Amino acid sequence: MAAIVSRPSRISPLRRRRALAGYLFVLPWIISLLVFTAYPVLASFYFSLTDYTVIEAPRWVGLENYRSLSSTDPSFWISVYNSAYYALIAVPVGLIVSLGLALLLNMQAKGIGLYRTLFYLPALAPPVAGTIIFIIMFNSQGGLVNQVLELVGLSGVGWFTDPKWAKLGLIILSLWGVGVGTLVFLAGLKEIPQSLLEAAGIDGANTWQRFRHITLPLLTPVTLFNLVMGVIGSFQVFTSAFVIGGTTGRPLESTLMYMVLIYRHAFRYFKMGYASALAVLLFLAILIVTVTIFRTARLWVFQEDEEQAA
Amino acid sequence: MNDDKNLKARSTLSRRAFLQFASAGAGLTLLAACAAPGGQPASGGSESGAATTDTVSLSFWTPGGSQVYCQGFGTIAANYKELNPNITIEEAQCGTGEQNFNEVLLARVAAGNPPDATIIWTSPAAFGARNALVELDELMAGSQYSQKDAWPEGVLASCIFNGKTYGLPVAAGTYAMFYNEELFEAKGISSKREDFPKTWDELRALSKEFTVWNGDTLESVGFIPWDEDQYTLPIWSALNGTQLYDAETQKYLLDDAGNLEMMEYALAWLDEEYQGDITKVNTAGNWSAGTDGEGRPPAFQEGRMAMMTGGFWLCGDMYAVEPTFERWNVAPFPVGPNGSETVSGYWPNWLVVPKGSSNPEEAFKYLDYMSAEGIKVWFANVPDLPTNKNVSTDLFPTLMAEKRGEEVAREVTDFFRGQLDIATPMWNSPVQDFANDQIGRILEQIYTKTAAPAAALAEAQQACQAELDSLLQQNA
Repeated sequence: MAAIVSRPSRISPLRRRRALAGYLFVLPWIISLLVFTAYPVLASFYFSLTDYTVIEAPRWVGLENYRSLSSTDPSFWISVYNSAYYALIAVPVGLIVSLGLALLLNMQAKGIGLYRTLFYLPALAPPVAGTIIFIIMFNSQGGLVNQVLELVGLSGVGWFTDPKWAKLGLIILSLWGVGVGTLVFLAGLKEIPQSLLEAAGIDGANTWQRFRHITLPLLTPVTLFNLVMGVIGSFQVFTSAFVIGGTTGRPLESTLMYMVLIYRHAFRYFKMGYASALAVLLFLAILIVTVTIFRTARLWVFQEDEEQAA
Repeated sequence: MNDDKNLKARSTLSRRAFLQFASAGAGLTLLAACAAPGGQPASGGSESGAATTDTVSLSFWTPGGSQVYCQGFGTIAANYKELNPNITIEEAQCGTGEQNFNEVLLARVAAGNPPDATIIWTSPAAFGARNALVELDELMAGSQYSQKDAWPEGVLASCIFNGKTYGLPVAAGTYAMFYNEELFEAKGISSKREDFPKTWDELRALSKEFTVWNGDTLESVGFIPWDEDQYTLPIWSALNGTQLYDAETQKYLLDDAGNLEMMEYALAWLDEEYQGDITKVNTAGNWSAGTDGEGRPPAFQEGRMAMMTGGFWLCGDMYAVEPTFERWNVAPFPVGPNGSETVSGYWPNWLVVPKGSSNPEEAFKYLDYMSAEGIKVWFANVPDLPTNKNVSTDLFPTLMAEKRGEEVAREVTDFFRGQLDIATPMWNSPVQDFANDQIGRILEQIYTKTAAPAAALAEAQQACQAELDSLLQQNA
């Protein structure tokens, strides 16, 4: 029996030329990626091990920046706590609100296109402008929100002046950009086969049961996407916290988010090495959380292929 | 025939070859764009050819400011050119758009293409310690207006690090006590400057006369101790006979006994007069000098605050929100229990020559001119108090003259000028911004009673000294 010998694959000169042309087409993008993204990322790992003020060459200090994070910087743990608190509340709340809005916007109502546009519009507004609008609305003295609270018999609070309320104010502000997640959920809802919902209806499932056992499981891939993006975004919250609390995180460092601390060390104290160490830690934290989410995703994200195989 | 075909193939540019060249060209262009503008070296660069040519063009920056402030530099540049036809000062770059000014300036210094001269609003000691500025001592010694003795000692201190001078403190708004004469007189209290409280105890006693509570609501105040403000705290510290930072020994003194006493004094005052609750105080009104972030008008101008700390600029800014009264006055700061004499403080504008300036000598000459002559145009647009002793003392804010008459405007300006001579050294730490943040942080903690003064001061002391030591170690 003659052995079947596979012939070594050879790329023809034509294919090679085509490949070369393809590489040349993407070359500008690759150069841009290497120079403006990959290099800064790698450089920040190196700078985190140096003393670097931008003006002079970095001076190697080993792990000193990492050591002084928790020992001499009293704001480090405060910013870690604030960012974790923000992420733990803002992400689930954002997911629930955006899913709720998506369900409403998925209804066949008159003028639904207009509503969809309106809910997405805030995502297009400049973040600083959005934050300033919120500062005015949440003004402790005669702001719209406090006026409404007083109308229903509740006393107004110092949303951005009282440390007890400031983080909650920031979390509510984060809902301003919920339109992006809503749009993603809406796209997911459109993908759900109507036949499944109709079949369940015929079998006697009520609205809640159809939502719980069909809509929600089929939305889990989209939920995973929104969750990951939400976690990354919430760890990196900067503009709203910076506009409201400045570089010191007023009141009483309650709005001092981790990204603000990085900015403060880099561009106010000119400590690029230290700021790079902070950035590296943030990168690792986000990496660990994201990997954990993806690992656990097997347990709760609906996989169509697996269902079919089963 | 085949040869002809090959020849043609080689001599004409195929579409694929064209696209390959275009892609490669785009890549190279991108790389070229990353190079420093003008192909300048990444450091140094002060030995440019500009110094050897007849005509010199200088670039000048300012961190920002109002339109009238920025336009004033055009007038100053034009006036300078009349005197020096071979020098052209380019249109002043006013701010750096959405980007942080210091970030852009430092990046330009690092890249070797900074402006030739600039105003900065961060202490020159801080920039000087990071090797970002040209040392000016020799240039000052040979200058027309800017010799060291032409500047108030306490103000020039903000430009000095390790004995070297890195800037010219061209204008400084000195601080003083502002008070509402009409409120004083309504209570039968003398409104003469010489009768204003001379000690903290007298000030505290007087303040009580004006502070009115309606249940839990604060309706009016006399004076709120130390303004909960990190920028004026060095003044209150000096009034109590100590300092927050000693530049000579390069030591922070935040947890010094005098500073602890100062903070405990403020807390006792807060307990006695303000129900011990700064949140109630802050909720009740805007006790700062201008409209606050929530759009509330300043209480002083509303006639709800009898006395406040303010800088010279307030002589004009006072009228940004029209006061409900006409007559106000200024007085020296009262002295603390451990202090022996009154002092003042200041908020400066600094002129500097960044490292890598294409022509530091000519740039300095322009700054020298601005310190004594250009500042007059500057003052006419924005009344920042000139500090150089060569500047005519005939300047006064026109808006104040319109409101209060020229005589009062002149007298008050003279008073603030006198405050320059008793200014306590401040803004003189190479880690000034870090320290300001730390001091602001503990002031909040102490006033809201979330930290005891001793513990908060000790924590800030440790953080500031560690930051300073780290920087000094790099400079060693």
